[in-house]
Amino acid sequence: MIRAEDLIYRYDSRNDRILNGVSIEIKEGKRIGVIGPNGCGKTTFVRHLNGLLLPTAGDVWVDGMNTRDSVAVRKIRQRVGMVFQNPDNQIVGMSVEEDVSFGPGNLGLSPHEIRKRVAESLAMVGMERYARRPPHTLSNGEKQLVAIAGVLAMHPRHIIFDEPTTYLDPSARKRVLEVIAKLNRQGITIVHVTHDMDEIADADEICLLHEGRVALLDRPDAVFSRVEWLREIGLGIPRVTEMMWRLRQKGVNVRTDIFALEDACLELSALIRPQTG
Amino acid sequence: MPIGQYIPGDSLIHRLDPRVKIGATIVLSILSLKGGAFTGALISAFLLVLIPLSRLGVRHLARAFRPVLIFFALLFLVHLFFTDGQPIPPFPPWRVTVTYEGLYTGAVTTWQFVLLIWSASILTMTTMPTELVCGIERLLRPLKRIGVPSHDLAMMVSVALRFVPTFLEEIDRIKVAQMARGAVFGSGPLIRRTRAAISLLLPLVLRTVRRADDLVAAMEARGYRRGHRTYMKELTMGRADYVAMVVIILITGLHAIGA
Repeated sequence: MIRAEDLIYRYDSRNDRILNGVSIEIKEGKRIGVIGPNGCGKTTFVRHLNGLLLPTAGDVWVDGMNTRDSVAVRKIRQRVGMVFQNPDNQIVGMSVEEDVSFGPGNLGLSPHEIRKRVAESLAMVGMERYARRPPHTLSNGEKQLVAIAGVLAMHPRHIIFDEPTTYLDPSARKRVLEVIAKLNRQGITIVHVTHDMDEIADADEICLLHEGRVALLDRPDAVFSRVEWLREIGLGIPRVTEMMWRLRQKGVNVRTDIFALEDACLELSALIRPQTG
Repeated sequence: MPIGQYIPGDSLIHRLDPRVKIGATIVLSILSLKGGAFTGALISAFLLVLIPLSRLGVRHLARAFRPVLIFFALLFLVHLFFTDGQPIPPFPPWRVTVTYEGLYTGAVTTWQFVLLIWSASILTMTTMPTELVCGIERLLRPLKRIGVPSHDLAMMVSVALRFVPTFLEEIDRIKVAQMARGAVFGSGPLIRRTRAAISLLLPLVLRTVRRADDLVAAMEARGYRRGHRTYMKELTMGRADYVAMVVIILITGLHAIGA
């Protein structure tokens, strides 16, 4: 479990607080979407969860360990993996397999164990055939999958994805999102920071950060129902949901807790074709 | 690069331990520079044998010398004209004298450098950058006791090498983007060329700093710390490696005798 208690962060004493008292508890195995207007501190927040940043005040606990504990941070970073936005700037190895071996190498594992984990992780993301390739020959989507494999090789329990699909084309995006869903099904906690509501419409919970605090922490349907307020603070909602809201505003009697295209189709087709039988 | 790029292959030389190859290159380079014509001939014979053994095309090797041909020519000419000794008859009519000694020292000195480039090229052409870094790290590892951070140095070199192709692409991208905004590269008055260069360098430097920042975060997130780490492949010496070491020792011995 990952827990933040009254997390306050400011870069230094001359700057404003970026995080102004964030408290949240993320249970193991859950999938949390983290959204918020630009500059609200999403990235700053998640970087506290693996100890990359330390709080100015407040605490962050990962599986009972405090991130301020410099001895525990090693273990925390093994437990909490992080995939970043820019696919290129995560890859340090001169070949795919060398990069994936970076994490296990930092853990001091035996060469045999490292090779095993590299093979497993590459298989998990479907990149086995690319093992010997140099990174500059890969597409952004492939690089991002390699980055994910690199994190998986450390056998984390929780993985943070910080806007992982920003640089990806639609098909690469789909692939990465599928991998994320697969990992969650295997029980890995997922913290998914994103700008795109569609990506987290089916999360267990959505955490909305606004002005350095947790403004909302609830199930997706509850969060997305605050359409007007979300729009006020500069956020959108899944396009499908928005469509249902607008229909409702026009007087059409449809449910608005709809986030997936298929559900919208079902709902609308029930309207168009009256139920028989 | 004056030293050749890696040519994929599976020859005997390709399969040698990189430590042995690096060590051999260093030893041969030192011997080339210290020795005279006899040593030079010995090493030349050895390197000649390596060409078929490494299955490197002569064409590839020749390409390694192209950037340094001018240097070689100058070196030869300097020795040719400025060495004292017995003049070669037809030349005194010109202001400079050419001596037999000059011819000899010119040839030998130039050939010494040829051998340097040659052995270094065989090293880089038969050894993958990954292996080179690995080899250097292993060779430096015993020095950890006296404070040489072998793992960190290897990491630095490795990351730098990994980004070379990425940088080249980035330079291209920035160049094209700036050209679309009206920058003119490669021609024009100095002012214009300077501004064009800045329009290329400034974004490049800024992006590189940003890149480094991101990379540090990613490395730390994956548990990187200064100091001890393990690797996927540990180098092991095989029979061929020991044979190679013996050969190098033999050459060193012959050099000592010949001196």
